[in-house]
Amino acid sequence: MNAPVRSTPLLVFSRVWRSYGEGDTQIHALSDVSFEIEQGAFVAVTGPSGSGKSTAMNILGSLDIPSRGAYCFMGNDAGRMDRVARAELRNRHIGFVFQGYNLLPRTKALENVELPLVYRGLSAHRRRALAGKALAQVGLEGREHHRPGALSGGQQQRVAIARALVSEPTLLVADEPTGNLDTERSHEIMALLTELNRQQGLTIVMVTHEADMAAFAGRQIGFRDGKIAFDTDHEAAR
Amino acid sequence: MLLESVHLALLSIARNKMRSLLTLLGVIIGVAAVIALLTIGGGAREKIRAEMAGFGSRLIFVFAGMPPDPSAPAMARARALTNTHLINMEKAISRYATVAANAETRLRVSYGARGLSAQLRGVSKSYFALRDWPLTRGRLPTAPELASNASICVVGSRVSEALFGMENPVGARIRIGQTHCRVIGQLSDRGASFSGDQDILVMMPLGLFQTRISGKNEIEQILINAPSEASIPLLKTKVREEMRRLRRIAPGRSDDFQVEDMAEYMRQASSIIGNVTAILGAIAAISLLVGGIGIMNIMLVSVTERTREIGIRMAIGARQRDILLQFLTEASVLSLLGGLIGIGFGLAIAWAGTTLMNVDFVPSLAAIAAIAAVSAIIGIVFGFFPALRGARLDPIEALRHE
Repeated sequence: MNAPVRSTPLLVFSRVWRSYGEGDTQIHALSDVSFEIEQGAFVAVTGPSGSGKSTAMNILGSLDIPSRGAYCFMGNDAGRMDRVARAELRNRHIGFVFQGYNLLPRTKALENVELPLVYRGLSAHRRRALAGKALAQVGLEGREHHRPGALSGGQQQRVAIARALVSEPTLLVADEPTGNLDTERSHEIMALLTELNRQQGLTIVMVTHEADMAAFAGRQIGFRDGKIAFDTDHEAAR
Repeated sequence: MLLESVHLALLSIARNKMRSLLTLLGVIIGVAAVIALLTIGGGAREKIRAEMAGFGSRLIFVFAGMPPDPSAPAMARARALTNTHLINMEKAISRYATVAANAETRLRVSYGARGLSAQLRGVSKSYFALRDWPLTRGRLPTAPELASNASICVVGSRVSEALFGMENPVGARIRIGQTHCRVIGQLSDRGASFSGDQDILVMMPLGLFQTRISGKNEIEQILINAPSEASIPLLKTKVREEMRRLRRIAPGRSDDFQVEDMAEYMRQASSIIGNVTAILGAIAAISLLVGGIGIMNIMLVSVTERTREIGIRMAIGARQRDILLQFLTEASVLSLLGGLIGIGFGLAIAWAGTTLMNVDFVPSLAAIAAIAAVSAIIGIVFGFFPALRGARLDPIEALRHE
């Protein structure tokens, strides 16, 4: 049976291997992994530590490249790009949110959010305007000049999300974004991500080990031993 | 982008004030040494040049004493020069060149209740013809006045000031030791030279000096003004032969007098200054090298401390060259800061040094700009390896760094 004609997927893993070491001691973090993610999807990636999910996320975010196989992002073979091209790809199309927020300490919220635009070469005036807008979008008006140390965990993660959003990315890669937060803050962050996904069509791929967080996503991919253990999309298709 | 980096660098330095300052000590000391050296050395050279221009580079000096030859056997104290030498030298040489002589001592001069210890100089009749002697007041003694040992003198500006204040000394009779002299002129300010303050000076006829002050017919030195630079070597030979003849020095025995010329002195002085400058310059260079290594060390620490920051920056799109530029800028801003502090210290040292040495304090703007540039370059050179290390970090590893 033929599937209905669909637009090209945003990203495609085709037979991706990621191996470390040589010969007998070679370890495969990813073994022959293939999947696709559509534009506008909200995907939760789960799996125990060492399952290969982090490796997959690094490749997905163009921080790393496959040892074998191809990773296509927006139709381009990101796996064959050099470091400069990947840096530019990350800068223009990918936003990162980390478990530990990863804000620059002793740097104002606004300046943290401006950072991706600095590497894009925008003027200070324009950067400030866009960063202010992004902070407002995550509900942090009035906190522009606070330093991370003066903000709560939930607020710091909002600053990190604003930093990811400021470059108007195509893909948001979130690595356990609620891992350091209590349930209430976690739900607030998830509500924010869901809203960004629904209202702006932002594609989100989120690593989580909490089932209730994964439930916010429209699709779940589970990793185990460097392979995909389950994929709710495929089960639905079956 | 560069401005961002400079801003970032300043922030980072400000966060670690003490550490930055300690790191910069090498650069600060090196730059201060270079600036002090160049300024003091330049002032000293300029002083020599000015003195040479004032006194004339064609001057030949004859004075008693052994030539500096360590291999020669020690001899009895050299016989002093006397009037006989001067008179005979005048006979032999004055066809070609001006010949003069002077004798000196230090003595108290006074006027009424005021007095001071001054350099007293008896001068022969042609002495004032050797060079210009600008006057503030009065006139110089004429050659006949000098030859007839009139009781007259000219005083230096500080002698005049000490004895007469702002008043005109011309016409006053001042007391010099056991005798009196009428002041007929006041010299213009001449400032200090390496041989002492030239304004605390009283000059009188040589004969008067010898009869009333020293009581001996000895003279300090004979001065001969050669007609041209080219004639100096020949004239020196002639002077030497004449001196040997006058002092009856047997062939084969060494001179007990010296014949030198001004140009030779200046060359020697310049060469000593040059050597001292070179040695201190080498020390300064070593200090700068040590300073550079200090900067390399602290930048390595900084890159390691900020590994995670580098990871974050890379994740959000910093290219390797952005990271490289950031740390290179930080290193050169740090080093430039050290350079600027060093320039400040160097100028202060140079000011103190030139004041002590009675040399003009004329800092060279070009030298200051050059050393500032050098200190920035030191930062770039020594900061390159740490910056490259930061730029080559793997973003995933860097992000994982605690």
